[in-house]
Amino acid sequence: MELLQTITLPALGSHLLVGLSRAMILFVVTSGMSLVLGVLRVPNVAHGSLYMIGAFAAFSISHLFGGGPLGFWLALILSPFVVAAVSLIAERSLFCHLYEREHLMLLLFTFALMLILGDLVKMVWGADYRSIMAPEFFRGSVTLFEAPFPRYNLFLLVVGPLVAVGLWLFSNKTRVGKIARAAAVDREMVGAIGINVSWVFAFAFVLGCFLAGLGGALVSPTVSITIGMDHDIIMDAFLIVTIGGLGNMWGAMVGSLIFGITQSFGVLFLPQFAIVFPYLEVVIILIWRPTGLLKSVW
Amino acid sequence: MKQGFSVAGIALLGCLLAMTLVFLPGHAEARNIKVGIIDCYSGPAAVYGNDALNGFKMAVDEINKEGVLGGKIEWTKRDTKFKVDLALNMAKELVMREDVDVIVGTINSGAAMAVSEAIAKKEKVPFIAWISKSEKITGEKGHRYVFSTGENTAMAGKAGGVALSKKPYVKYWIAGDDYEYGHAIGNAAWRNLKAGKPDVEKIGESWWKPGEPDLTPYITAILAAKPDAVIFCTGGKSMTNVLKAVKATGMAEKVPIWIHTATDHAVLKPLGSEAPEGVMGTMDYHFYYPDSKTNKAFVEKFEAAYGQAPGFPAFHGYITAYYIAEAFKKAGSLDTEKFIDALEGMKIQSPVGELEMRACDHQVVLPMYLGVTKKAEGKDFAISTEIVTLTGDEVMPTCDEIKAARGE
Repeated sequence: MELLQTITLPALGSHLLVGLSRAMILFVVTSGMSLVLGVLRVPNVAHGSLYMIGAFAAFSISHLFGGGPLGFWLALILSPFVVAAVSLIAERSLFCHLYEREHLMLLLFTFALMLILGDLVKMVWGADYRSIMAPEFFRGSVTLFEAPFPRYNLFLLVVGPLVAVGLWLFSNKTRVGKIARAAAVDREMVGAIGINVSWVFAFAFVLGCFLAGLGGALVSPTVSITIGMDHDIIMDAFLIVTIGGLGNMWGAMVGSLIFGITQSFGVLFLPQFAIVFPYLEVVIILIWRPTGLLKSVW
Repeated sequence: MKQGFSVAGIALLGCLLAMTLVFLPGHAEARNIKVGIIDCYSGPAAVYGNDALNGFKMAVDEINKEGVLGGKIEWTKRDTKFKVDLALNMAKELVMREDVDVIVGTINSGAAMAVSEAIAKKEKVPFIAWISKSEKITGEKGHRYVFSTGENTAMAGKAGGVALSKKPYVKYWIAGDDYEYGHAIGNAAWRNLKAGKPDVEKIGESWWKPGEPDLTPYITAILAAKPDAVIFCTGGKSMTNVLKAVKATGMAEKVPIWIHTATDHAVLKPLGSEAPEGVMGTMDYHFYYPDSKTNKAFVEKFEAAYGQAPGFPAFHGYITAYYIAEAFKKAGSLDTEKFIDALEGMKIQSPVGELEMRACDHQVVLPMYLGVTKKAEGKDFAISTEIVTLTGDEVMPTCDEIKAARGE
């Protein structure tokens, strides 16, 4: 009875919003993963590590500029570039030699990279918990559907669609984007018409990692920035790109929305078993559509 | 002939002297005490492992100036990476290869339980759990060879339960990390709250996976259920996530909240001004409380050595080293059984005053400090204020309860 009393229309509305805002973070991270999966065919287990580096870089940049609003905005803008730089080094020195390898080998390689990056983060930033603050404007909450909704989550609800539109414009309206899409479908043909596929791959990889870094920076004011963040997100990210359709950016969006909203509603309906809901839904979707909801490029 | 006699005589005399030296009581014991440390030095929990180690090192340096039984305390550490199987292997290696006299550690309750059962009990090597918090370690699974110098979930839960039972709240919601520590704290708090105030009612529970980044849906669902108060059962990296979500939703202004260790400065400092005010929390150590001479001296020395204030793990590491040294001194020998006998009921002076290692369950009797988070004046982070000290007797299960839990 208590349960039914809590499930009211405003509660449903409020949880839908909360789920959507979580989905936006997940989308930013998984869209990058999906891009790397689609164009490079690399199941990058280290994607979560780049998300973690994004959050730690955001912490450092924010503190470098005094921890105020300026620090926050600069952290949000610059830390994805820090991650992009790290990923460019990794791509040019390591990944570019490995694209032709079997997926299992790539999986093992990126797993090893995840462990190495985890230790590097510990060496650079130490093991302490870190935290950054959003500017005053984003602190506190507004009342939506008779429930408190963090202002910062409203910001996430704006950023997520912006990233989606940006990615769409990039892949459909720019030459590099079109080449990357073509390379995802037929890399030999793209190479045959004289395009340097190696650099297309490098660009796609760096862009994917840039998004991981952006996700890390975006999430940093809401969580503790700590070693282990990579492990927390990577499993969810893989599940999302799998149910969405491997390598499909819109699949990443659909998967993130389903994941975020199910999780949020799960907490409302059966809070004791909320953890199970997103995973249960993954099982159902994969039984129903083994290749994911949207077209897989694999 | 005379020459031969004198050579034989000298040889005999030499042998006799050597035998005497070997069998002299002092000589055999005049060696270093070897302590093997197993703890987490990588991953998110490393922050606790390092802090405990720093406290231990500081105490050992102090102790070694005088030495113990003619020797010194020497130590070696192993990184368990928060893994139970690694902790077991390392504890085994420390006993078999390093021949340690005592094992100490670890932040991971699962690892502490495993080492206690499979190594300490089986190999008869004393194991002192210094920061793992499962009440089972010295409770139902306790035995002669395991000790704890840290507070546990029974003590924390009882502190919360006792404190909350004095408040007027009736309808409670319990939420937290879905693993051993979260549930243990929740159960202990609820058990004691119900005992102190039988009319309380639990209107719901929710559990998330440890480290779950976005806890907003949990908070909004709890607020929708309109409880009188909320018990959050969390720690480590989840703690910051909870406090951030509490702050972002303004929950602390709407509903009273109790979280064990929410007043820990290791949690509040990184949060800075983002820490929610008004959250009730319990801790067994604050570097700024008690405001005593001994605590201040300890803190100053620690800050000088490591450049930061000691957290609760450092305090436990520190007292653990003193318990080891004092117990060996009292035993007068490096014999394990005598060490255990000496440790039982032993009292030492600590930064928070005199502490007793309870003989019945090998659990150190620690007071608990109940406080409320508030921005500190002149500091850029929140501290615990309005601190009420709950004595060890108030927060610990009785020896009879321990016996009952062990089925004795």
